[in-house]
Amino acid sequence: MTATLSETATLTKIDIRNVTKDFEVRDTGGAFTALRGVSLDVREGEFLTLVGPSGCGKSTLLDLVAGLTGPTAGEITIDGTPITGPGLDRGIVFQQYALFPWRTALANVVFGLEAKGVPRREREGRAREYLGLVGLTGFEERYPHELSGGMRQRVAIARSLAFDPDVLLMDEPFAALDAQTRESLQEELLGIWGKTGKTVIFITHGIDEAVYLGQRVAVMTSRPGRIKEVVDVSFDSREGDLRADPRFGEYRHHIWTLLRDEVAAAVVQERKVAVPRG
Amino acid sequence: MADVQTGTRRAAGPRDTVWREPAGIGQTRRARPEVVRVASKAIRKSAAIVLLLALWEVLPRLEVFDPVFVPPLSENLAAWYDLLLSGQLLEHFQASLTRSLAGFGLAIVLAIPLGLLIGWYTPVADLLMPLLELFRNTSAVALLPVFILVLGLGETSKITFVLYACSWPILLNTVSGVKTVEPLLIKSARSMGLGPIRLFQKVILPAAVPTIFTGVRLAGAYSILVLLFAEMVGAKAGLGYLIQDSQSSFRITDMYAGIITISVLGLLFNLLLLTVERRFSTWRT
Repeated sequence: MTATLSETATLTKIDIRNVTKDFEVRDTGGAFTALRGVSLDVREGEFLTLVGPSGCGKSTLLDLVAGLTGPTAGEITIDGTPITGPGLDRGIVFQQYALFPWRTALANVVFGLEAKGVPRREREGRAREYLGLVGLTGFEERYPHELSGGMRQRVAIARSLAFDPDVLLMDEPFAALDAQTRESLQEELLGIWGKTGKTVIFITHGIDEAVYLGQRVAVMTSRPGRIKEVVDVSFDSREGDLRADPRFGEYRHHIWTLLRDEVAAAVVQERKVAVPRG
Repeated sequence: MADVQTGTRRAAGPRDTVWREPAGIGQTRRARPEVVRVASKAIRKSAAIVLLLALWEVLPRLEVFDPVFVPPLSENLAAWYDLLLSGQLLEHFQASLTRSLAGFGLAIVLAIPLGLLIGWYTPVADLLMPLLELFRNTSAVALLPVFILVLGLGETSKITFVLYACSWPILLNTVSGVKTVEPLLIKSARSMGLGPIRLFQKVILPAAVPTIFTGVRLAGAYSILVLLFAEMVGAKAGLGYLIQDSQSSFRITDMYAGIITISVLGLLFNLLLLTVERRFSTWRT
């Protein structure tokens, strides 16, 4: 209803409106505020990266969008409908892969299809197709412990893509990988995003990664997290080494400046009191 | 055999990025020395047992041990063979195995569902855990007289006794198997919209299977250990009875024949359960 008023050229996919999230502190009975008054709209089909100092509530925000927890105040809508719980219209990729170790790569991808209720006959073919998309043809029968970290994360990405969600939520998915694997996965992710047209929210603590991947970079403040600024990132051409583009350096520096004070504040906070990561 | 696999592993990155090379590569490398390696390993692994058996034969003959109380191995084996031919051994063996398996089987059937309930539903855990904690720390052996008083000297008291002793490892492992499922896996499954029942069926249960099975294997060993005790206290058949009865009527070689049978039985049973356990937990490495 409000969409008609503020509507620009692009459609809003996810609307985060004035969201606050408090957690109860078990020992003291008090509450601690992870997010305060976060507002952000994510456009249909865009690649949005989210950076912020550690403990600023990035992951909490992702959990809220995923529907794994509910906000204390405010509202999050997807396609105009409030989010009330988890759903297969959103797929999550976790930093630690979260693959089921007793299932093969193929069976892990099939898991999401079972959850969605895809007919048994179609599951395997579709799972193979998505494993192929992430470059894992020939590894279908491997168990997660038989795969490298990069390959595990590919399986996890294939699992989230296979049930065909509109939105992909990625929580520092490449943080545990070595630099080379990370860069090749970043490139492949952009390729997959281009092919599938998903809306992606990608959390990272790497400024380079945020600038490289995101069409927009949302910068968060230290706890309680708010959106400090949303930076539009655009390059004349993405050909060649993007990281060598002078504009890459400018974006990088701008975001670094935005983050610097927040990181300093976060460090002070962490020294004062041990808080749950988020 | 286990170290064959680690031999073909290599580290691919700084952080648990270990993966196995295709099977073919490793096989060509270990084709020839395999026979030698297996043979030398077999010798190393059996040396201590062979030595024990040899000493058992020689020391009594040299009268280092009194051959009346510790007869040489060969005499014990001859007695074992006589017992086998007369059919007595089979009778005792059957009696023991039936009781063990009955108690063990009942323990599996009762303790696994109970453990799943306790592990999954906190109110059930709150209600039952204090009671279970009390009984767990009460030795099964201390309760044997009670079982005999209440259930008599027959099969029921013995099977119940085995059931009681076997239930603990299965129950406690099942509870911990359910409780220690990686929270991230649960979160991941929840994010895909799985409700509590399917979450349990597709995530909790398969994740807990290896831990549960470790409990089952422990219980298997207990089933034979504790039964023997019950049979020594009061029975008319069974390997425990055979051992006790032979000793008190001074048929010393028969006593050792019974002891040898029970230790081989225990070994084989454990081996069988280990094999099954491996099948259930190939993914846990």
